[in-house]
Amino acid sequence: MAGTSTSFSARCFRAVRRANLQVCQYVGQTFRFARLADLKVCPTYRTIAIVALLTATAGAQITPPRFYRDDPIWTDNDKLLDASKVGFIEDSNGYDFVINTFGKPGERRDVRALNVNTVDEVPDSSWFTNRIGRRPMSVEEIVRGPDQRTVVSLDGWIVSRGKPTGVQAGFRMKDPSGFTYQIEFDPPSNPEMATAAEVIGTAFYHAIGYHSVEVFLAELDPATLVIAPDAKIEDALLGEKRAMNLRDVEDVLRRGARQPNGKYRVLASRFAPGTPLGNFRYYGTRPDDPNDIVLHEHRRELRGARVFGAWLNHDDSRGVNSLDFLTADDGKKYVKHYMFDFGSILGSGTKFPQRHRAGNEYILEWAPGWLTLATVGVYVRPWMLISYPPVPASVGRFEGDYFDPLKWKPEYPNPAFENMRPDDAFWAARIVSKFSNEAIRAVVEKARYSNPIATAYVADTLIKRRDKVLTVWLAGVNPLVDFAIDANGDLTFANAAVDARVATPAASYRLTWARFDNATGATTRVGSEVTTREMRSRVPDELAASRVGDHIVLEVRAAHQSHAAWSIPVIAYFRREAGGWKLVGMSR
Amino acid sequence: MLNRPTRISTSLLLILVLAPALVNAQTPATTGQATPAPPPETREEALRREREAKKERLEPYHPNGVEWTMNLLEKRVQPLMARDGFYARLGSLTTGSGLAYGVGFRNRRLFNRHGSGDVWVAGSLNHYWTIEGRLNVTPKPSGIVSIDAFVRRMNYPQEEFFGLGPDSRRPDRSDYRMHGTVAGAVATVRPARYFSFGGGADFLGVRLDPGTATELPNVQDLFDDLGVPGLALQPNYFQTGAFAQIDYRKPVNARKGGWYRVAFNRFADQGTGEYSFRRLDVEVRQYASVLAERRVFVVRGWVAMTEPDAGSRTPFYLMPALGGNDTLRGFRAYRFRGPNALLLQAEYRFEIWAGLDGALFYDTGKVTARRVDLNFRGLERDYGIGFRFNTDEGVIMRVDAAFGSRDGRHLHIVFGTLF
Repeated sequence: MAGTSTSFSARCFRAVRRANLQVCQYVGQTFRFARLADLKVCPTYRTIAIVALLTATAGAQITPPRFYRDDPIWTDNDKLLDASKVGFIEDSNGYDFVINTFGKPGERRDVRALNVNTVDEVPDSSWFTNRIGRRPMSVEEIVRGPDQRTVVSLDGWIVSRGKPTGVQAGFRMKDPSGFTYQIEFDPPSNPEMATAAEVIGTAFYHAIGYHSVEVFLAELDPATLVIAPDAKIEDALLGEKRAMNLRDVEDVLRRGARQPNGKYRVLASRFAPGTPLGNFRYYGTRPDDPNDIVLHEHRRELRGARVFGAWLNHDDSRGVNSLDFLTADDGKKYVKHYMFDFGSILGSGTKFPQRHRAGNEYILEWAPGWLTLATVGVYVRPWMLISYPPVPASVGRFEGDYFDPLKWKPEYPNPAFENMRPDDAFWAARIVSKFSNEAIRAVVEKARYSNPIATAYVADTLIKRRDKVLTVWLAGVNPLVDFAIDANGDLTFANAAVDARVATPAASYRLTWARFDNATGATTRVGSEVTTREMRSRVPDELAASRVGDHIVLEVRAAHQSHAAWSIPVIAYFRREAGGWKLVGMSR
Repeated sequence: MLNRPTRISTSLLLILVLAPALVNAQTPATTGQATPAPPPETREEALRREREAKKERLEPYHPNGVEWTMNLLEKRVQPLMARDGFYARLGSLTTGSGLAYGVGFRNRRLFNRHGSGDVWVAGSLNHYWTIEGRLNVTPKPSGIVSIDAFVRRMNYPQEEFFGLGPDSRRPDRSDYRMHGTVAGAVATVRPARYFSFGGGADFLGVRLDPGTATELPNVQDLFDDLGVPGLALQPNYFQTGAFAQIDYRKPVNARKGGWYRVAFNRFADQGTGEYSFRRLDVEVRQYASVLAERRVFVVRGWVAMTEPDAGSRTPFYLMPALGGNDTLRGFRAYRFRGPNALLLQAEYRFEIWAGLDGALFYDTGKVTARRVDLNFRGLERDYGIGFRFNTDEGVIMRVDAAFGSRDGRHLHIVFGTLF
């Protein structure tokens, strides 16, 4: 979580610079403090600058060390302060589109994600819980997702109110124990499409680490529907809330895909515990949440969501498809952030198959539009030429041959996605690499497509897209990971791209060791560069004798004919502890 | 020695430079602490301090002006436009009316939700106005039969007329006022998804008066009833008719499919019988698309033929007409009128952005006095470029610029679709 605060020395530096400019302008001269060499032409200010630097240096005494003793943290306790005063924020579709299309909300800065720990990973928080990226998950666990049960029956459930938002036909029901579920239907033109997308998306996003609600496929028999006496619906024609009746339910059923047996396949999404607070945004922070201190556009799990969005074709990755809940935990209330509404992923556009444009171009993208206009349509956008194979209607429009992860786009610009850097993408791609073919096939089977061709096609396409994602983003940077030094001083590491079978091993690795002064950040090189063909080495003798609390740093470059980016070093920091060496820092 | 300005600047700079340190030094005294807070020793502590610092400056979320406006439009205004009850009405009343504004009251849940009713009034800047009531009923159980009934009172004060037949002249441009009441009902049977047929009866009580456009002569000043039937007398009509239609366009704002319609109507003069006639309309619209349906080719063909009863004449104001934003776009509205008409239109539409299509179009057609002259000789023609602001459900607004006609260039800005 480095870099989230402004250091005292930095504040002093800025104050000096401001003051310097002001004074120089006052006396009719112009020079900039940054050009220290120019100080000789203004001797008076040399003295002033020295004073200023001394002040700044005094500040450096309280500059935090690079590594605290509890680094790396694996939990960011953002439930710490009471957030019960937060208010409801719900974006409109229109504003979300306008602000992200015509504006540049948030901070666009090429800066390392601000919520990563010192080993370049995302700590658990109200946003994210490390799952498949940090520990092995069985296929069963991946498939189960957030669900606490495997099957739900709608017997004894009652319709409790209409569905106030969203384009998908549906209403809300309560189960016999009083829990509320949102019931959603597939469009008649594409049975199973949207519900399957929801089930598959939820399982993947949960395993990745996002918070998502429980979703279940169920069968709804219209003959057994019961409407609660106090059920209400927001009547679009009346423009107000009124008592819900059977005709309202029939209106919904008319817009849903009916099965040959007269029943309906529905998705039942269980409401998350807590009080809904509206959407989160992919930029800024909530001004009323004391725990929300990292600009969302600089949160790695939101930047890296671009990789997951590309893989799963979640073109609807936008603020309005998120939910914040005020959640109680140990008597404290905090804001928990959920990803939800996966009805528009894979080949599903919720009410219709994904449009051809989806994933390939923003809704409003100037250049191709002007080109089309200038050429009266002779210019052909490349995605218009994509040939989609004939697949069951339940698949929608989904493919993996044309798919290019680097060119994939959501419906409109997303500030966090635009801030994504190679290290963010690598982090996300490494998580994607953990999904085996077997796991992908099992998750797709959870969607219970009635046509096995649909199951096979969706799974095969996801595997194809996963491999493309890994090739681009896992092998696109130096992919060395899992650095460890054992008690004997033996160093080992791994190559994530090779492990994921998207790259061949590097020809050699060049290692450079140094001492690291945690207080000042100074490094002192030790020994000469070591070249090895294996992903192992030894800590130099000079460093092996380090005392507890000492830090050392290792730079590793990999040589690979096809991957020039591998020559940019991965840097690993270790701290000597009583039990041996502990990895405390990573950057790539 | 430093000169005076330099001394001032030096003092100022020192104050500015040392201010943060001075402030920090004073802080413990003001807060009662003995010493500044020691630097955090753990990451957890550093983060806790940041959160506690933010806690001191919490504020409720305030939407900015754009957000407030968008929310208002989406959550307040848009529902108002869609709801039953009173609603705002915007659009054209008839070809040449100009943009009309009005208010309506509707209920789409009549007859136990098997019917809808709509009453509205609207007027345009050209002083056109219409009051209309409309009722639709789709009885259960099959839902394949629907009945539409309407009554309309209208005033179209500047309807243009250039003479009858293909040789009408632009210098003969004149106008008349058409006003009166029209009422009727039509029953539609939809036995199959794409096929429907039906029939109905209307009462037409329309009268003509001098037009109100001050820059134009009245039609009565340039023409007489001998050459322009119906100019002297406008009887009431009882109109009966039948139609059959095939519609397999997709989506509603079509990118593929077709729409074919045949309609036959008889207009029975309820007075002297001098103006009774029959009319046949045949229309074909065919849509084809390529490149992910982002390039659409549309052709439209329309033929209308009228035949007066023995000893009767067809009144000019009920004859087919060409010209204006929906037929020959390179000509003024109703530029050509005649007993028979032939229209062929072709459009090539290309999506510029989602929600905005460009279009290149070509229109050709003619009116004829005799049915045998309905051929491809002597056709009027124009071409042009246009833009359509649209959704899958239809065109919200279109702009067409037409060129190449013998009457010069014409620009049309129209709410609603063409074909």
